Amino acid sequence: MNIEKFVREFADQFDDLDTSAFAAETLFKENDEWSSMTALSVIAMVDDVYTVRLTGDDIRNSKVIQDIYDIVLKKSNS
Amino acid sequence: MESPFYKFDLIFKLVEESDAEFILSLRTDPVHARYLTHTDNNLQKQIEWIRTYKKREKKRQEYYFLFSDHNHQPLGVIRLYNITADTYTSGSWIVKPGCDEFVSIKSDLFISEFAASELKNKRCVFDVRKDNKKVLRFHKMFAKITGEDELNYYFTIDEESAKQKIKFLTSIIQPNI
Repeated sequence: MNIEKFVREFADQFDDLDTSAFAAETLFKENDEWSSMTALSVIAMVDDVYTVRLTGDDIRNSKVIQDIYDIVLKKSNS
Repeated sequence: MESPFYKFDLIFKLVEESDAEFILSLRTDPVHARYLTHTDNNLQKQIEWIRTYKKREKKRQEYYFLFSDHNHQPLGVIRLYNITADTYTSGSWIVKPGCDEFVSIKSDLFISEFAASELKNKRCVFDVRKDNKKVLRFHKMFAKITGEDELNYYFTIDEESAKQKIKFLTSIIQPNI
């Protein structure tokens, strides 16, 4: 896994927003497009690409993309 | 049918005429309703549509749920329709912007469980607009594409896959179960 690839995959779940400035430190909920459907889409992407199951608390407790990346990394190594 | 249902910290009730204004506000939202069939911004038409729907509901041909939080603030709607001997369709799914991240999962989980209980031995068939990328990604996890046209992909989900979906969604919102 690498963070740059993950940030791009994460950004791909946003269909309307200009995500070109997305980075590991991006506060991913602080925009107009973040919604329950975006959360579901992120969970689906992580399940598909990394075979890791994110929970509701994983998303709730995360603020920046790096937080989600760290969770996926930890779960994929366990 | 006894309604409301209390599930996942939400209240699911069958739609009434008094919900017309809320439903109309969702269905005429230019951003969030863009993947649904067009609805005229006409309250009286919406009330009449619900009146006709209630007849189908009485015959157990259709179930249209409005879900609210514990303060009875309406959050969205979801519907089972086109119920036949073998199949049904799940759709008209729309969640108010600004809700908790997991309201969409909870509402889909509710309707999946409701269908598994009320519409036994039936297969879910539904369509998703090709540009509704978020919903497409989600459904591709469990449902099979059976066809497509210029506008939509057509899906089916059998009972076994529906059970897997319920298990998956439950693990997201209730990870310790």
